[in-house]
Parts: sequence; C-alpha cells; structure tokens
Amino acid sequence: MLFHEIYGSYYQAVAAILGEAVHGTLTEKKLNALVQEHAFGESLLSIPDGLKGERWRLLRSDLSTPLQKEPSMPLTLLEKRWMKTLLQDPRIRLFEPDMTGLEDVEPLFSAETVVYYDRYADGDDYRDPGYIRHFRTILRALRENRELAVCFESRMHTRLRLVVTPSRLEYSEKDDRFRLIASGRRRRWTINLSSITQCEPRNLEKAGDLEVTNKNTQKDPPKASVTFELHDRRNALERVLLHFSHLEKETKRLDENRYLVTLKYDRQDQTEMVIRILSFGPVIRVTEPESFIILLRDRIERQGLLFK
Amino acid sequence: MAYSELIKNFSRIRAYLRSFYVHGFRHRDEYTAKSARSYDNERRRIESWLGGYMSFGQDESGRRVFLSVDSRAIQDNPLYRAFRTRSFTDRDIMLHFHLLDILDGPESREGLSITGLMDELSERLSDFEDDSMPDESTVRKKLREYASLGLVELRKKGRETIYRRSEDRTDLASWDAAAAFFQEAAPLGVIGSFLRDRMPERFQKFRFKHHYILNALDSEILYDLFAAIRESRMVTLTVHKRQQITVLPFRIYIGTQTGRQYLLACSMAGRHGGTRRPGQSTGPAPGASAASPTGQSAGPAPGAPAASPTGQSAGPAPGAPAASSSGPAADPPPHIRFTFYRTDLIDNVKTGEKTDPPEDLSEELDAFTSHVWGVAGSNAAPLQHIEMTVLAGPEEDFIVQRLEREKRCGTVEKLDGSRWRFSADVYDALEMLPWLRTFTGRIADLQCTDRRVIDRFRADFDALAGMYDMNSTGAIGNSTGATGPHTGEPDPGGADTVTTDGDMTDALS
Repeated sequence: MLFHEIYGSYYQAVAAILGEAVHGTLTEKKLNALVQEHAFGESLLSIPDGLKGERWRLLRSDLSTPLQKEPSMPLTLLEKRWMKTLLQDPRIRLFEPDMTGLEDVEPLFSAETVVYYDRYADGDDYRDPGYIRHFRTILRALRENRELAVCFESRMHTRLRLVVTPSRLEYSEKDDRFRLIASGRRRRWTINLSSITQCEPRNLEKAGDLEVTNKNTQKDPPKASVTFELHDRRNALERVLLHFSHLEKETKRLDENRYLVTLKYDRQDQTEMVIRILSFGPVIRVTEPESFIILLRDRIERQGLLFK
Repeated sequence: MAYSELIKNFSRIRAYLRSFYVHGFRHRDEYTAKSARSYDNERRRIESWLGGYMSFGQDESGRRVFLSVDSRAIQDNPLYRAFRTRSFTDRDIMLHFHLLDILDGPESREGLSITGLMDELSERLSDFEDDSMPDESTVRKKLREYASLGLVELRKKGRETIYRRSEDRTDLASWDAAAAFFQEAAPLGVIGSFLRDRMPERFQKFRFKHHYILNALDSEILYDLFAAIRESRMVTLTVHKRQQITVLPFRIYIGTQTGRQYLLACSMAGRHGGTRRPGQSTGPAPGASAASPTGQSAGPAPGAPAASPTGQSAGPAPGAPAASSSGPAADPPPHIRFTFYRTDLIDNVKTGEKTDPPEDLSEELDAFTSHVWGVAGSNAAPLQHIEMTVLAGPEEDFIVQRLEREKRCGTVEKLDGSRWRFSADVYDALEMLPWLRTFTGRIADLQCTDRRVIDRFRADFDALAGMYDMNSTGAIGNSTGATGPHTGEPDPGGADTVTTDGDMTDALS
C-alpha cells in the first residue's frame, strides 16, 4: 500500500521528536522545530497537541518517553520491491548498491512493462565500462568536494582538457543522457558524460573554498522568457500546458478559448523552445519577445519558399 | 468534521493538485466539481504541504492560486509530499511506535507472543493518565497489517503466534545516490523518496531536465496496474468517476515529451478474426471508427475536451467507453484489439480475475507496437504510409542525426547530397504532425496515404504563416519529391548556436 501513514510526515516528525526524548534532550523549542522541519505548514497546530496532550501516549508531560530506543522502522516490502525493480534497470550499473536481503524479493514490475515511447534513440551507453568508470569518478568527486581533470570532445570535435569543479549531474529523460555541470576557467561548463574520454579526481578542495567557487562561477545562467497566446482547440490547452508543465509558467485566461501563457526557460535552450512551440502549429501565437518571433518567422518563411 | 491537514484518500486531492499545477488560471468559483468549502479546505491543505511552491495571481475575475515549479532547478519532486499526508487514528500512531520499539528490545530478539506484547504495552501505557488498553484483537490486527507491510514477521510456535520485528540486511547507505536518482527517474519514484527519508545523509547533486513531476500523482494507479500486469489479471478501470472499462493490461507507456502516461491494454471481446496487417483489406477509415479512449476518432462529447494525446484528431470524451470492444466494425475485428488509456484520467483500478493471455499475444503486441508512433491508433485500422523529405546540407549532419534519434519507427535514407527521406507505416499518421512540424523550414515533400494528414499539415501551416503576417503559397504533396529552394543559410537554431562549449546534445534544428 503506497498511501500509508507509516510513510507520512507526521510519523517522521514524531519519530524525530521521540528520538530526542529517548536521549533526554527534548525541549519545547526543539519539539516545535522538529515539527517544522519534518511536517507541514500547519502541523504545529496538531502534532504538539497530540504528543503533549497524551492523546498518542508516546510522550510524558515532562517530555520523556517510555520508548527504549530511537524510533526506527525496518524496510517495508514495498521499498524492497522497488529496490529489486531497479536492479533490472541498466542505469543501476552506474551505482554500486548493496543487494543483500533482496534475493527473494519480487520486483514491482518487469523492465519490458515500461515503454518510454518518445525517448530519443541515441541515449548514453550504460553498459560501457569506461562510461561507468567516469560516472563513478564524478559521483565520488561530487561527494568529496574534489576537483576533476576531464578530457572530452567538444561538439566542434576538438579535444579539450580541463580542470573543473563539479557542481551536479543532470539527467535528461527525453535524451536519456547525463551531463556534468561544472565550473572552470571562470565559466560554466555542460559536458556530456558520453563525450568524456578521461576523468580523474584532483586534490581535495576545502569545503568552504568550494562553496565560494560554486557561488561565484556556478550560478545558473539567466532565464529567458517567452509569452504566447494559446487558442484552445483540438484540446490544445491541455496538451500545451502539460507539455510545458516542467517549466516555471503563468497562465491567464483572456476569454473563453484564449489564454496567455508565459514560460521561463534556460536561455541556452532557445532553439529547443522554438521547435517545441512550432510543433503545436497555429494554436500558439508568440507575442513576445520579438527576437523569438524572428526565429519563428525565419523558419516559416523558409518553409513557405519550399511550398512554392 | 473539523479541518485537518491530513487526508484519508489520495484521490480526493489529486484533481486539485493537477489543476493548480497544470492550469493555474482558474479562480475559486470555477472549481465546481465540489462545494466552495471543499475547495477552500483542499487549497488550504495544499498550501500547507507545498507552501514554498504556491503562487498567487490577481486579475479582474479574482485571485488565482497555482503551483509553479521549474523542475530542472529542484532535486526532489515536491508533489511527493502529498503522499505523506495519510490520516491516522490516535491508536494507530500509539501502536506504531510502541510495538516497533517493544519488538526492537533485546528480550524480543526471538520474538514475542501476543501476551508478552500486551503485558509490555500495558506497562508502558500505565505511565499515562489514560491507561486504557486496546483490545488484543486490535493489536493482533495491527501486527497482521504490519506483517503484510513487511515490518513484522509472524511464525507459529505450537499453537501460538510469535511476532518478531523484520530484520534489515541491506546496507541502505549504499543506495543513497541510486535512490536520489531513481526517485525522479523511475516509475513509482515516490517509494524511493520514502527510502530516502530514512537516510541521514542524502546525496543531493542530481538535477533533471525535461522532468514531468506531475506523473507522481498517478502512482497509486500505476502501482495497481503493475500488480495486475505482473499477475495477468483483468482490471476494471473507473474513468471520470462514472465509466467502467474492463481490460487486460499489458504495458505502461511513458511520454518524456508530453507529460503523460498511458496504459496499453486489450479488451478480450471479439476474439475471432485476425489482426490486420499491411496489405490486408482496409477496415473503417481511421477517424471513422471509435477506436480508443485516448481519442483517435469520433467527435468529442459535447463540452468534453478531445482526449487524443496529440489532439490531432478529435476524440470521444476522455475515458469514453472502450469502444474498441464495443464499437461497430465494418470488417471482422482483429483477434486482439489494443487500446491506450491515459492514466491521469483513471480514478480507480479494481483488480479482477487472473486471465490466460491469448497464445499469440506477444506476436500481436509486437506487430501493433512496431507501427505505433506514440499512443494513438488501433490495430483494427489499416496502416498508413507516410514519407517526409527533409533538406540537410553537407554541413548539417545534425538534421540527419535528429531524424535518426527522434524517429520511433520507420527508416531514414539519403536521396542525394541535400535531401533525406523519412518513411514509416503507422496506424495513425495524424499523431505524427507535431513531430513533422518541428522540421518546419526544411520539409521539401510530404506524402501520406491518408490525405487528411497532408491537408491538415498544409492548413495549419497556412494558418501559422497568417498569424505572423506572412503569406504561404504553393502546394505540398507533389508526388515526386517537390524540392523547393533551400536558403543555404546556417540554421539559426542549429548546432552552432548551442551556448555551452561542452554541450553537444542540444543541437536541434
């Protein structure tokens, strides 16, 4: 059962509170702080009352507890089955998870049950030993705040060698690719893992220094925005809003069938955005910025010439 | 009943979350499915759970509440929080912590009988003003529930049942990065997020692009469907709270570009005749027969949105009766008729009896899916042949790469130095229109055995050109490669416009 109170935030908050109580370190202030940390905006109205009012009979009035140990919960069958399911996924090779205790567990579904029908066909090769090695090196560098010396082939087919400070690993579900987001030589780099030919960890950075580096050079690039009028026919409203739902957006209704949508996207994805907007045909009319409209017009004009 | 931020049924909040996240333009008085008070309570709950992600807008019609999330900037799906809101009773929480603690004690290593457990519980509760004990049957019931969840093990010792806390042998710390990744990248990722709740150190360096977090809301539905698929059981789907459809489920289709998930299933009715193959006699024209609840064909019910995944062909109301099993068919129906159902439109899954899948299922399924572009089409319809000729100069390999990696079936062949032809046989070519349009500016020729595809493409293009005050003239569809002049200019959005030096994959035309 997936929607169950044992996974709930209230149980999490209470477990954390009782953990403190077991050690005799619970205070009113700490109790409230743990509720705010583990539960929701209005949980302060109910959890302290349930605990201190003895309704739940877990905490005595002096904030001690009859429990002997810090609360913990064994892995549930659901969790084990999900873990077992992942063992069929080729991407699990990138990690080295312990499989003990999962031997007799049945997966939730088999790999062939799930079809990513519109995923691009040239995704990363998760069976390639070199790729796996590079992935794990990057993962370790991210954990240990280490710099990395990487060699990779740029999209212009030139070989580059860099020392970078890794910031994160980004995965695209559509492309089925990992990219390393890093900084080096005073700029931000996005490097496809599949293009990396060498990857070695460098010196251990001081965590504080790395944070400063991250702040200065790994800021996300500024966002661009595009605004368009959406004409709701052929179920366009639903299709368009779902399609762009992963972006920050705002939608306003103009009249019964027309909506004004503003999307924010990473500037480097402008071409992709042009294509995606074109894919919806005449149900979308971009109203601003003008630079975006020019890109659309250029393609439409070229297509018009081909139609002649 | 007094307001609580916790809920008993997830389905109650699903529609509101979806609307706040996807639409976000509705005002309070537009949520008419339930009372205004219900709306106020659900909005208040969602604000309480997801406060940091809630946005508000004000216009002449009033205040709008919406969820705005750039899923590329976050590491955890915030909608998973909604799965941590299950309500419980005072007794549930009391028993949970006491029983697991009692069973974790050194004297409980070999397990405890119900008497031993009750004695220990009684001693603990005697510390409180209210020292009333739950019934033994209540405690037994809770223990049985926990056994089914995997938290407790039951074994018989003579006539007595001994209860023992389940042992964890898995090194959970070794799963931290894998759980962080798969909680966002695998189906039922919310379970991974539960797993991570147990980890004191959580890996936080993954981010996700093109990430549709909304699919999380279908997790309960997906869980039931996976169980039925694994056990080969029929399911009765309740769609839009009224229609019931009984099918045999096979696969889950997940869109990485549409934000939708689908169930591929078949109705077991009409098991006579055979699946139509290329070259066989044509059945009802696609678009003429009610073929799928995902809306491949007949017109929508009044006031209902067309539910086609691409919206290219108007369809019946989402979740309309499984017409594939009941609709009229001019020719003998295929042995097995496959249908896609949007999972976000399924309200409930009732698992039924085990069913032996048809012997030739695998063959039929492969035959069908190898000619489906996305999630539309019916194997009751004839295949349609489509060809698109695209211009790509010698320096424009990225266009050819796009054709190769984005095609989901069919072939790509080089015609000459600057022309490449994509061709495929699919059950519903209309579904391909959005993809075809992404090559706008390069399409030298488009042919399809279903004339409506060409007409729609051209009409849409004319309308598009008109919208930007441009005229489009000329005809598309010359049978032998009508090649227009290519400007020869570098593609403004081509490979050389990608900004970051190391990024090779955003090279889109």
